[in-house]
Amino acid sequence: MTPVVVTAAAMANACGIGMRAIGAALREGRSGLRRNDFEPATGLDTFIGRVDAVESIDWPERFADYDCRNNRLAWLALDQDGFRAKVAAARARHGAERIGVFVGTSTSGILTTEMYSRATRDQPVPARLSASSYAACHSMYAPARFVQAACDLHGIAATLSTACSSSAKAFGSAARALHAGQCDAAIVAGVDSLALSTLHGFDSLELLSRTPCRPFDSDRDGISIGEGAGLALLEREGSGAVELTGIGESADAWHMSSPHPQGAGAVRAMRGALRSAGLRPEDIDYINLHGTATRANDTAEDHAVHAVFGSTTSAGSTKGWTGHALGAAGITEALVCVYALREQWRPGTLNCVTPDPALRSRIDRESQAAPLRNALSNSFGFGGNNCSLVFGLRR
Amino acid sequence: MTALGIRAVGVAAPGLPGWPATADVLAGRTPFVVQPVASLDSNLPGTERRRANEVSRWSIAAALEATGDARVEDVAALATVFGSADGDGHVLDAMLAALAQDKVAVSPTIFHNSVFNAPAGYWGIGAKASGSSTTLCAGEGTFAAVLLESHGLVAATQESVLLVVCDLPFPPRVPFTCGGRSPFAGALLLEPLGVDASRWGCIDGLRVTRRAARRPDHDALVDGEFAGNASAAALLLLGAIARGHAASIALPYIDDAVVELTWQP
Repeated sequence: MTPVVVTAAAMANACGIGMRAIGAALREGRSGLRRNDFEPATGLDTFIGRVDAVESIDWPERFADYDCRNNRLAWLALDQDGFRAKVAAARARHGAERIGVFVGTSTSGILTTEMYSRATRDQPVPARLSASSYAACHSMYAPARFVQAACDLHGIAATLSTACSSSAKAFGSAARALHAGQCDAAIVAGVDSLALSTLHGFDSLELLSRTPCRPFDSDRDGISIGEGAGLALLEREGSGAVELTGIGESADAWHMSSPHPQGAGAVRAMRGALRSAGLRPEDIDYINLHGTATRANDTAEDHAVHAVFGSTTSAGSTKGWTGHALGAAGITEALVCVYALREQWRPGTLNCVTPDPALRSRIDRESQAAPLRNALSNSFGFGGNNCSLVFGLRR
Repeated sequence: MTALGIRAVGVAAPGLPGWPATADVLAGRTPFVVQPVASLDSNLPGTERRRANEVSRWSIAAALEATGDARVEDVAALATVFGSADGDGHVLDAMLAALAQDKVAVSPTIFHNSVFNAPAGYWGIGAKASGSSTTLCAGEGTFAAVLLESHGLVAATQESVLLVVCDLPFPPRVPFTCGGRSPFAGALLLEPLGVDASRWGCIDGLRVTRRAARRPDHDALVDGEFAGNASAAALLLLGAIARGHAASIALPYIDDAVVELTWQP
């Protein structure tokens, strides 16, 4: 593919608000995970990556309809890292109608409806949410509509929702829209927030860890659910140290919630991303793994990474810092790759104390400075949906 | 822009049992009569067939008609773009009911069916489709958004794409209304324009226009039986195909916009 430049980036998640704070947490090995204290679901014995800051935002009156935890997270990220100013400059360059918005989310603002139906469950006639509240908060399109409104844009927009690969897929849609001339710049976003359905849903599958998640550890026993938002501005040309150079997408065609045991779909996604970037496996200097810390996911991903890269390419999972931000995981980890390339420093794998000896790829536990030219990020979701992205330093 | 050839069409909706019958209705050759859909075709093995949610069943039925009609040599290799404005209300209803209990117990099947890309996941299992698969929405503009995404994909890969859209009415216990009163699922097998014309014509000139300049098109079914069903906006395009005359079409899109396109036989 023709590379597209990352001309701005911002994020907010449990390990920090803004790229600088998150970078500091990564470097200091400081996890954002804590024992579950999320009020509506405190019965669950697990750890979460909660972003308290969304609870105290002074919410703007003009966006009253949009007021929900998920849109608050997006708003928080929009306020970081000079992102709004960069979008304003892009709007001046291209026009508000030529900037697309592509948002990945798995559950949008479903918490609003969950709490509403819980509060009204004893009413004999079903209580109704207002249509505007559904459209602005809970509907799957809500976060894309909100980001578009918050940035005063009038171009194309869509929400991509493919479970835990959603916001990686949003990069693919945005890059294709740029190439097809549907827009001249694109905001890619990922936003997912704590919700009862995901907390209890993963609990029903017995996939929630009782400790902070331990990717690729011998004793790993599940995920820690996090929340977060990430934003990237993509343009065909412009200033920025890093570009998106490759995208690989595939489906497992195997099972709705279990990965293919040999990671066959993941192999196709990674090879597709390398082909799209015109790179060989040895050209990749760092892999940010999906690395959720469930037994099955990490084993399947290890098979796949070993099949494509052997045992030499440095790989790690940053879920021990952020938790699994589900639909926002793709962009969160894409932006960790952008950070790593900019800083020439790659994170290791927090909470991986005893690497599983059955795994064969090179899982680096320790973070370190390293010369990095190309980084690959993996995202895999329910429904067997896989996406790998390659980012490179611009020459 | 890259023009999109339409190689095959699939439809599943009450009163519209498959593409040939739908074309007859849209071209005015036969009257529209609402009739419940007797059964939905499926390619799923037993276990998945029992587990699959409603929006997946309808989506698969439309996709099967399009891929069957096209005599596609390798359905498994097709990239897919799925769309739905609101997903599956029955799954949401079951999830909300479980979460409202004092002791919450969510069924694992309900949980994995709750992902928005469930139709794509089930289609992948049924068709052994291992290519790229995207699922997206844009409110009432979902069909237009799915067409834009498919256009980007065909332009980038120069390969065929299976587009599938589906919206269903929500059960009354869900605390908001979605999907109108009638279900609709539609599928298009899109291909890069080759030396031979595509069987059902081609789409060109896709562009976003302000509603101040042009309003979305009207259609008796879109505004009537399928009002409120975002996926049924596909009927605006299917109507032109059925009538067989070149047409300029305005699809509803987001907020104050429409997506314009031209269709040519």
